[in-house]
Amino acid sequence: MLATIRNRFVVSQGRFGRVILSFMLVGFLALIAAGIAAAWATARNQDHARAVVHTYEVELSIATARRLIEQAEASRRGYLLTANREYRDAYRRWAAEMPGAIGRLGRLTQDNPNQRANLAALRRALDTLFAARTQSIAMVDRGRMTEAMILFYQEASVRRMTAIRSTFDRMAAEERRLLATRDEAQRQSLQAFYVILAVAGVLLVLVMIASLLTVMRYTRDLARSRDALRRFNEQLEETVAERTADLSRANEEIQRFAYIVSHDLRSPLVNVMGFTAELSAATTPLAELVDRAETECPGIVTEEARLAAREDLPEAIGFIRTSTQKMDRLINAILKLSREGRRVITPERIDPAAVAETIEASIRHVLDDRGVTLTVRRPMPTLTTDRVAIEQILSNLIENASKYLQPGRPGQITVSGEERRGRVLLSVADNGRGIDPRDHQRIFDLFRRSGQQDQPGEGIGLAHVRALAYRLGGTIEVESTLREGSTFRLNLPKTFEAQDIKP
Amino acid sequence: MNAHQSVGIVMIEDDEGHARLIEKNIRRAGILNDIKHFTDGNQALHFLFEAPDGPARNGPALVLLDLNLPDMSGTDILARIKDEGSPLKRTPVVVLTTTDDKVEIQRCYDLGCNVYITKPVNYESFAQAIRQLGLFLSVIQVPEVEDQ
Repeated sequence: MLATIRNRFVVSQGRFGRVILSFMLVGFLALIAAGIAAAWATARNQDHARAVVHTYEVELSIATARRLIEQAEASRRGYLLTANREYRDAYRRWAAEMPGAIGRLGRLTQDNPNQRANLAALRRALDTLFAARTQSIAMVDRGRMTEAMILFYQEASVRRMTAIRSTFDRMAAEERRLLATRDEAQRQSLQAFYVILAVAGVLLVLVMIASLLTVMRYTRDLARSRDALRRFNEQLEETVAERTADLSRANEEIQRFAYIVSHDLRSPLVNVMGFTAELSAATTPLAELVDRAETECPGIVTEEARLAAREDLPEAIGFIRTSTQKMDRLINAILKLSREGRRVITPERIDPAAVAETIEASIRHVLDDRGVTLTVRRPMPTLTTDRVAIEQILSNLIENASKYLQPGRPGQITVSGEERRGRVLLSVADNGRGIDPRDHQRIFDLFRRSGQQDQPGEGIGLAHVRALAYRLGGTIEVESTLREGSTFRLNLPKTFEAQDIKP
Repeated sequence: MNAHQSVGIVMIEDDEGHARLIEKNIRRAGILNDIKHFTDGNQALHFLFEAPDGPARNGPALVLLDLNLPDMSGTDILARIKDEGSPLKRTPVVVLTTTDDKVEIQRCYDLGCNVYITKPVNYESFAQAIRQLGLFLSVIQVPEVEDQ
């Protein structure tokens, strides 16, 4: 369940990151598009403004040119009528400005083939016009007024002027048309700009809403998974507490069971042993009676009676006794284990090396008898745990090591210890006869032994050691090779902590 | 024991074999007093408090009590005997049981038991313990039961 929650959480986080990133990307792209569109629209606007200015310039130039032509014409006509030189001078002034005005118009309309064609036509008309004007003015200058008037009549100047005016009108119309086209283009580009802006805006709003929704959903998911996690955690604690309570209940049940069984088994045993003793006591006078009868009156003693009194009865009683004694020892062993489980652990600071040395001193004569040397390797880490339990564990292990020797090799036992991540590892290593790998687990079971049964014992010691190790929150394991030796490793917490939760 | 009075021994023991062994060994110690044997608590209580020939109505007694009984715990009987206001509160009670649990022993003495003996599994020790108890019984003084 934990794994699922964590996975969902992780996946959701990764997806969330990608989604938000892509939303931000889309948002940025929309902004950039809007910016580009704005820049483009501004450029278009400027272009358009320039075009408008251009159109007005062209129109102004056309108007100027027209004005010059009309003024020049008016001055010439005045000169023709009055021969007043002021009119001639005025005409010359207007005429002199004419090429400049036409040239400017030509420069302004250079890019437009229509206007160029118009201008060319205009130039031709103007050339003819100016030639005629120059001629008539020259005539007046020389005093030939009449001839000049005639020329003026023949000139058909009104038609020519009309043609020139219509050319100018065409050019102006062309410019107006161009302006209208440009206005249209401008309107369209403005429209395009607004469309782009609107699209970008809508996109931004969408992205914003989507991001907001995603963030909200993510937050909701997060809150939900956090709640789930908390709920799960509470459940876990409850479950652990329940299981622990169950376990300690079961454990207590077993302890009580072992205690009751061992007590209730003892009760009939008292009878068996008691009445066996009574039987045994009764056998003695019977045997004496048989003996006496044999000497005094041999005829009445049958072979069967003699065998029964002298052999069968003592033998049966002997077997009953040894069996009940063994049963008594076994029951005592169970009782001892069950008591060990009920004993209150009193943790204190312990130096295992000192404990091992105390044990060595107390069984020195046994070790010497067996020719065993015991080495306690210092320094050894200290630990806080139950002294009695440690003493019993170490003395059991050391005694075992000194008991099961490899024939022909003097025994060597090494007790050492090291600390590893809050645990203390104590080792009791020997060079004895070793334990068959098949028995490495079995030897820790009650009443189970390994190898040749040449030493007294009930198979209780290691079961006791394991029960004690478990009781102290530790473990015990063995490493052994047949005929080479065994190493028992005791793994204990550096500091004993009570794990029992009393129901 | 006060030979001139008939001090009855009341043995409350559910195991017939144990009862027989206890009786045999007490007799071997030279105790000749009457021994009444009960295998369950109710009968024993009835005899102790109500029977016309029981200790409450008729003379002093000594109780040998086993703690593991089929119908009730021996400690309940002990509590009834030693209860304040009980006519038998001065009657000596010898608890004779297989339990050697510290808590149980403490509890019995708290309730007013006079002697607590654990039955040894080893018969020789058991027999010896009972014989010594017999010798002990032969010298102790048993108080008179108060008149109702």
